[in-house]
Amino acid sequence: MSFLTVNEASYCYQGNEAVVDRVQWSIAQGEFHCLVGRSGCGKTTLLKIAAGLLQPTSGSIFIDDTQVVEPSDQVGFVFQAPTLLEWLPVTDNVLLPISLKRRVTAKDYTRAAELLELVGLGSFTKRHPQELSGGQQSRVAIARALIREPAFLMLDEPFAALDAITRAELQDDLLRLCEHQKTTVLFVTHDIAEAAYLGDFVTVMSQGELQQAIPIDLAKPRAPEIRYDSTFNALCLKIRKTMDGTA
Amino acid sequence: MSIRIYSFFLLIALLVGWEVICRLLGISALVIPTPTAVLEALWSTLESGYLWPHIWITTAEMVLGLALGCGIGFVCGIILGETEFLRRLLYPYIIASQVVPKLALGPLFIVWFGFGMTSTVVITALICFFPLLENTLTGIHHIDPQKRELFRMLRASRMQTLFRLKIPSGLPVIMAGVRVAVVLALVGAVVGEFIGGREGLGAAIIAAQGMMDSTLMFALFIVITFLGMIFYQAAIWSERWLLRRHIKGKTQ
Repeated sequence: MSFLTVNEASYCYQGNEAVVDRVQWSIAQGEFHCLVGRSGCGKTTLLKIAAGLLQPTSGSIFIDDTQVVEPSDQVGFVFQAPTLLEWLPVTDNVLLPISLKRRVTAKDYTRAAELLELVGLGSFTKRHPQELSGGQQSRVAIARALIREPAFLMLDEPFAALDAITRAELQDDLLRLCEHQKTTVLFVTHDIAEAAYLGDFVTVMSQGELQQAIPIDLAKPRAPEIRYDSTFNALCLKIRKTMDGTA
Repeated sequence: MSIRIYSFFLLIALLVGWEVICRLLGISALVIPTPTAVLEALWSTLESGYLWPHIWITTAEMVLGLALGCGIGFVCGIILGETEFLRRLLYPYIIASQVVPKLALGPLFIVWFGFGMTSTVVITALICFFPLLENTLTGIHHIDPQKRELFRMLRASRMQTLFRLKIPSGLPVIMAGVRVAVVLALVGAVVGEFIGGREGLGAAIIAAQGMMDSTLMFALFIVITFLGMIFYQAAIWSERWLLRRHIKGKTQ
């Protein structure tokens, strides 16, 4: 049963060639999908269409059988940059999605504290974003996206600006959190190894079109050592070849 | 710290040099009075109570002009920033009106509002209006596009986006406008009094000029400078207070 359905969706920026070209895609509940492609292949545009931030030029999007015409409350979104509000302390940043909807309750504060604990920032709740490192800011952004317990989490290259070791830590944390909340995930990245490590499926996008989804049959939960494994490298090579169109 | 001591000594040296040159060359007090004479005039006018009403009037004009000009400028900046149509319609006029020398309108305001405080307050307000309008417009317009998208994703209403994203994130730019306005307000108030004031430090300068009392004019410069410094410092403090949450974590 499909949770997200992208039905023949296209998107053109004002009369130019289609950036997203008649994409047909479906994601089942609870799956972790990675979308990889070169810069400018249209993956971010497709993600924004799926999130309801952009309206497709033609075609339609459904989440849980309802058509997406505006940003949905069911979707948590993580941007390329952490985009935290620097004048608010960490807790208030995490609670922003709630405080924009209604009065924040004591229960919400507890929940925010728990989430921050889960992303390893339990003792940073009163800090301000600029007092945090890049990796910590990304963690806050993830906690903020998860505070309303969305059924669907969409991430747009959230770790691209981080160093390799921090990125690996955050990948493990993200997997753990999504496993914990049974979240369906759509993760956009240009990093093949990241896609292979995180995803249940990796879909390659090139020139506005989707290639076949590649299932990743590695053991879950992922052990960090598999990054250096030969089967893992073989998968990465397979993805790379699909990207180059030589598979 | 030590550089401050040098700055202070530089001031002393300049004052002593000024005094010595005035005395040695026998320069007339009408042209350049000696610092001691200026301080003496300052002290005696403060003590006799001559200066205080003037100081209060100028301060009141500055405060009223600043509050009015900044308030209206801020609100107009927000309205223009939020309505694309009005902004496009009015922007050429705003740019054009920037170039109009506001002080040149002083005589007209005297015709409209009469001699006295009202004219000066209006001139001061008009001068303070533009930096606030300009900076508010810029401040709430240059918002990180990703933050806008974040608020769209969270389905924030227009008012929420304005009050919880645009104004807080534009606050540093808006406060920079306030700082500019404070400096201009003093010029506005004093020059406004030159033109149409009966009371106030500007009017006192004109009166001293009428009596050919250069020493008193120098004393008044000192008072005006001091007043400006107090206002500027107050602006910096209020800026720091308002931006206390923005500054947190920035490298000091």
